[in-house]
Amino acid sequence: MGLAQHSPLLEVVDLGKRFEERAGRGGALPVIAGMSFVVHEGEFVTLLGPSGSGKSTLLNIIAQIDGLTEGTIRFRGEQILGKDTSKLDPGWRCQIGYVTQSDNLLPWRRLQENLLLPLHAQGRTGPTALERVSELIEMMGLCGFERYYPHELSGGMRKRASLARTLVYDPPVILMDEPFGALDALTRAQLHDDLLRLWSSKRKTILFVTHDVAEAIALGDRLLVLSRLPARVVAEHVVDLPRPRRAGDLLTQPGFAQLYARIHESLG
Amino acid sequence: MTTLAWPLRNTRRRGLSYAAWVAPQRVRDRVLVLLGLLGAWHLVSLFAAPWIPSPRATARRFVTFVATGDLWHHTSYTLTEAIFGFLLGGVPAVWLPFVLRRQATLRRILDPFLAAFYGIPKVALAPIFILWFGIGLVSKFVLVASIVFFVVFSHASAGLDRVSQNLVRTAQVFGASEQWIAREIVWPSAVPYIFTGLRVAVPQSLGGAVVGEMISSTRGLGYAIEGAAADFDPAGFFVALLILVAIVAAVNSVFDVAERRLFAWRPSDLTSRTLRSEV
Repeated sequence: MGLAQHSPLLEVVDLGKRFEERAGRGGALPVIAGMSFVVHEGEFVTLLGPSGSGKSTLLNIIAQIDGLTEGTIRFRGEQILGKDTSKLDPGWRCQIGYVTQSDNLLPWRRLQENLLLPLHAQGRTGPTALERVSELIEMMGLCGFERYYPHELSGGMRKRASLARTLVYDPPVILMDEPFGALDALTRAQLHDDLLRLWSSKRKTILFVTHDVAEAIALGDRLLVLSRLPARVVAEHVVDLPRPRRAGDLLTQPGFAQLYARIHESLG
Repeated sequence: MTTLAWPLRNTRRRGLSYAAWVAPQRVRDRVLVLLGLLGAWHLVSLFAAPWIPSPRATARRFVTFVATGDLWHHTSYTLTEAIFGFLLGGVPAVWLPFVLRRQATLRRILDPFLAAFYGIPKVALAPIFILWFGIGLVSKFVLVASIVFFVVFSHASAGLDRVSQNLVRTAQVFGASEQWIAREIVWPSAVPYIFTGLRVAVPQSLGGAVVGEMISSTRGLGYAIEGAAADFDPAGFFVALLILVAIVAAVNSVFDVAERRLFAWRPSDLTSRTLRSEV
């Protein structure tokens, strides 16, 4: 693979985060402490942790929606965030995409318009913009819904749309924060398959946060287990199940049960 | 900034026409209620004439009111006051919250003062406005503007406070500038609230104009109402009142239609009528 020659795409080094003291809440609350890990180009890494283990905070920091109190974040070897960073640059130069728990589509924009928004905001509305959007709508199976408003779409469709809105401007890294949490099992399995298909065709690097062990195994190349607060990486598992994977086949894969048990154990 | 940039500007679906969304049964039911009200009015007038004129007497009075040209003479005056006052108060009331949004400190300083002014019953200011600006149109513009301003301002401010920070953050992540966010996220989120404010302000602006006229004027529906009462002309009084009701009803239906067109993106249970109770 030759990964060793390249510096990793994303590096989290000794990350620490404390929330400020506030009256009536006691001292500063450490949410993340001494967290380090790397993500390589084209890798699908899942972060697994109990709820309230600072997973969203971690992604917010990497996306630069929130600052950090200790450590650094590097992107292709360059420091993009440190203690001395004076001004946050959310999405760091449009290199880091972020798919959040809620879809955050603009309710007053139709599906097609919502997907165009990032390109419009970045001033990239050339003649190819609409083509890109149509292509993604096609890939996401949203054909025929271009002119629907978000409230007229199902939860699964809105998730697809929110994923497409991030893919449309092609950020090399995509952070995903329990994006399929609120969906029913069938829709979820379908979206897993779609996500894996997109990931392998677009060679994105994905950092995916979840508290669902099966989901983490189904999607990731590598799985990092986080501790309770303050969060740090307590275990790392390589998911060596063959690809392409299909959500439906997962349970019958040799090795799945053992992996599941090992991960569960490391969750503590 | 490229202008071609937004290829979908003109794709808004045309809203449904008024006739299409007011179901025929509802129109029929409304007509029945109207007839019931007229019937009740007629019955009461049989016992209470001449203190309460009958619908027929009122209709006759209306016809003479139109024929003499008094209708247009007074109504146009009141409408002028209400419309100009509405613009004079409404435009800064929409604009100012957008300016203050970026000035947190200034806003905190001004807040108690705005709240205090909001609390003054503006009608109580009418005499002093007449003293300052005369008995003509200007004093009524100022009175109506002072009423409309605070109503619209408070709604617009509430709308801006409720802009979803999640939407703003999402846009920041995909590289949107401050201005882009203001135009594409902050403004559209505030519009429904502003719209509600304008809607609430309409009858109040007419009311302000009429009260101003009743206090001191030589023309207008308020003047006509005052005159009718002084001349013992209950029918004239009723005519002036019904004209006011008709104007408010007409403006309201314009708002209804505009709302259907502007807010096609919203789930239908969210209208300015339901928002109103939230503010």
